[in-house]
Amino acid sequence: MGLNSLSPKLLSQRIGVYGSVQQVARVSKTLKIYYFWEKRWFFIAMAVGFGLLQLPLSDDLSREALIVLTMSVVATILFITEPIPLPTVALMIIIGQVLLLGLDSTNVAKSLMTDSVLFIMGSLMLAVAVVKQKLDKRIAWLIVRVTGTKTSNICFGISAVSGFLASFIGEHTVAAMMLPVGITLITLTSDDPKKVRNLAAVLLFSISYGCSVAGIGTPSGGARNAIMIGYWKEFFYNPTDPETLKYLIDYVDWMIFAYPMFLIQIPVVTIILLATFKPEYRNLSRAIVKLRAEVDMQGSLKPGDWVAILIFVLVLTGWITSSGTIGMGTVAIFGAVGFLVAGLVKWEDINSGVNWGVILLYAAAISLGVQMKDTGAAQWVAEHFLNLLSPFGADEGLGLWAAVSTLTTFVTNTMSNGAAVAVLGPIVLNLATVANESPIVIGYITAISSAFAYLTVVGTPACTIVYASGYLKTTDFLKVGWKMCIMSIIVMMLGAYFYWPLLGT
Amino acid sequence: MRTEEEKYREKLEALQNKRRNRFRILVCIDGSDEGYLGLKYAARMGGQRPDCDIILLYVRPIDQGLHSGGLQVRIARENMLSWGLELPGIRRLKTGLELLVGDEELKKEWEVETTNTIVDGDPLGDNKIEYRHSSGRTVVLKLKVAPDAASGILDQYELGPYNLIITGSAKQGRGRLRATLTPSVSEKVAYHAPCSVLLVRNLVPGKGHLVCIDGSDFSTQIVLQEAELAARFPDPKVSAICVSPDAEGMSKAEKIVVEASHMLKRELNFELKETYVEVGDPVEKIIEVGKNYSAIVLGDSGKGTMNRILGGGVSTDVLRLAYNSVMIMR
Repeated sequence: MGLNSLSPKLLSQRIGVYGSVQQVARVSKTLKIYYFWEKRWFFIAMAVGFGLLQLPLSDDLSREALIVLTMSVVATILFITEPIPLPTVALMIIIGQVLLLGLDSTNVAKSLMTDSVLFIMGSLMLAVAVVKQKLDKRIAWLIVRVTGTKTSNICFGISAVSGFLASFIGEHTVAAMMLPVGITLITLTSDDPKKVRNLAAVLLFSISYGCSVAGIGTPSGGARNAIMIGYWKEFFYNPTDPETLKYLIDYVDWMIFAYPMFLIQIPVVTIILLATFKPEYRNLSRAIVKLRAEVDMQGSLKPGDWVAILIFVLVLTGWITSSGTIGMGTVAIFGAVGFLVAGLVKWEDINSGVNWGVILLYAAAISLGVQMKDTGAAQWVAEHFLNLLSPFGADEGLGLWAAVSTLTTFVTNTMSNGAAVAVLGPIVLNLATVANESPIVIGYITAISSAFAYLTVVGTPACTIVYASGYLKTTDFLKVGWKMCIMSIIVMMLGAYFYWPLLGT
Repeated sequence: MRTEEEKYREKLEALQNKRRNRFRILVCIDGSDEGYLGLKYAARMGGQRPDCDIILLYVRPIDQGLHSGGLQVRIARENMLSWGLELPGIRRLKTGLELLVGDEELKKEWEVETTNTIVDGDPLGDNKIEYRHSSGRTVVLKLKVAPDAASGILDQYELGPYNLIITGSAKQGRGRLRATLTPSVSEKVAYHAPCSVLLVRNLVPGKGHLVCIDGSDFSTQIVLQEAELAARFPDPKVSAICVSPDAEGMSKAEKIVVEASHMLKRELNFELKETYVEVGDPVEKIIEVGKNYSAIVLGDSGKGTMNRILGGGVSTDVLRLAYNSVMIMR
């Protein structure tokens, strides 16, 4: 029972033996203020929403567009400040669409489930299943066999392997798998966390940033990529117009665009980390010997391990070859079913390992994004945003790309990167149309920039997971994160300017 | 027929009555040096006495699935456990325990009891390990799950009660507006806890406490309470300060200090080590004199949020600006 939920009378009974009546009355009064203070952003968001709804309508801003815009602004404030549980925001979006927009509730319900949402759901189930296979020790051993015992080489190995895996199965999966590898290497080197402070930072950031830079590599690297692919299809694809076929981006198309950028960033990540946190130990031979002993105890690969690897390879093949026809979501669901049928994971584990509220949240955010486009709200914001950019010469070409990237990087550092793309996607894609830029280029820039959430613990799933180790401070993310942000933006802009035109954008 | 709430209340009251005669200190551990310094201070404050319970508390935030991309962080935690690794909370609590009791002693002379409590919204729940010495003193390691650290600490008080909460302090020199609008964990606890709170900042043990008095009944109570608390230390050292805002009030301030000194001698047979009578801004003078002590002791100014923004309060201002530890007495 929370302190806030106690009635003053009950509170008085509980602590009355120690405090005077006046003291209890004062504390309970303070607690009521405290409750409203803790929830202040909810009330501010509601007040902002009410204020926006009173704005005068114009020729280019319909009543429906204003309502959707208001809902987006309120949802964004709630996403960033989190005064209420985040899935509640999803429920509020659904209620708002029915009550404020007057949409049919069945249609709203239908709009919640798309292939992108199915993909997010399937990949999360896959993530739990993959982590449960306990292949992490073997992966760790594989890394150190190749890299040797030198700290810098191990960091590079961890980044590269974490990145390679994360580019296909999502950063949260790999971060959860590799976290014990990093901590084991740290604790086997020294029991005293103060003596391995920098080593811990280098190893753990190698995992998280290795995963983060890789998340851009393929559509299955993160929910944000699937959301952007869904938006391209929803906003620009017209089955009767063959010209619009280019907006159906499949798995291989995405990889050709984005995978090279991931590969370029991997060695730079290690250089930045080693320059920022100078590790106390240049050689981890002592830890490696112990790690080897632990791996030896596991013995050779068992039949179950081989089946897990086979399902994983099948899913990967399915994504590459069939995602265009049957959808990425179906392939991900197929993988989850495969693990369940083979008995490699229990439904109970999947049920408790996946936060289903997050799927609901993404579904509602995407649904709202589609409404942004349908009501013209996205176009209205895009036109006004472009007017703001034009005095700075950032309303076209490289300037616009940089502006979109900076905006996305800022937003993604304040909320989850999937939510950032869901919120910004409709706006930037309309922005591209209004500015006569390629929606594909602007879409890639947005989806890729949403991975640049290196500054905060909550920026990316991998950062949140490695932070749970207890070895990192929030200030560590700032210390190295800004360097990562600059590096990633430069690599992306160079790629967009020199490489993407070669692909015919 | 008694409701569940009534049963819970009766159980809680029975537990509280049982604990009335004990000296219970809640030490908040977050892995920082301040937390462990506070723990050592708690041990000095009678940790070896049979009537003392020291509760080490680590608060872990409830998992937010969105931040980890929809994959519960518990999957990563379970994976860590399967590697034989300890979770950060347990690791930090155990470090704290090692500071209080040696390994050998723990095995030979202490009984252990482990409890797990289900917590809504978090699968791992609260975990408690209670170590009981044959003399009666106990050390409890509590890993608690809460929406945030401050709520967890304040919630824990309900299960107490405690005589004193010790927690690391926010950085010195935070602005009044900032400290009120976006209070740190320690500031939230200091403002809202129903019992006394020691905020640890550059804590150097053995230099005694400086108690601030103003002649009110409340400050008299604070002096008595502080003297009782100080008596728990191996070398009790308490000094008192009274600050007059102007020269006219000097004689009154001197009288207040003398009366406090006599009252302590009369009531508790306790001698003040030093007494100070100063003229000027109370906050500045208290901080200046207080920097030579282990902690500055003040009564709670009892101001609400708006009052803190507008007028502050000596205790909240000293809390923000002092170079060293501050104890808010209730």
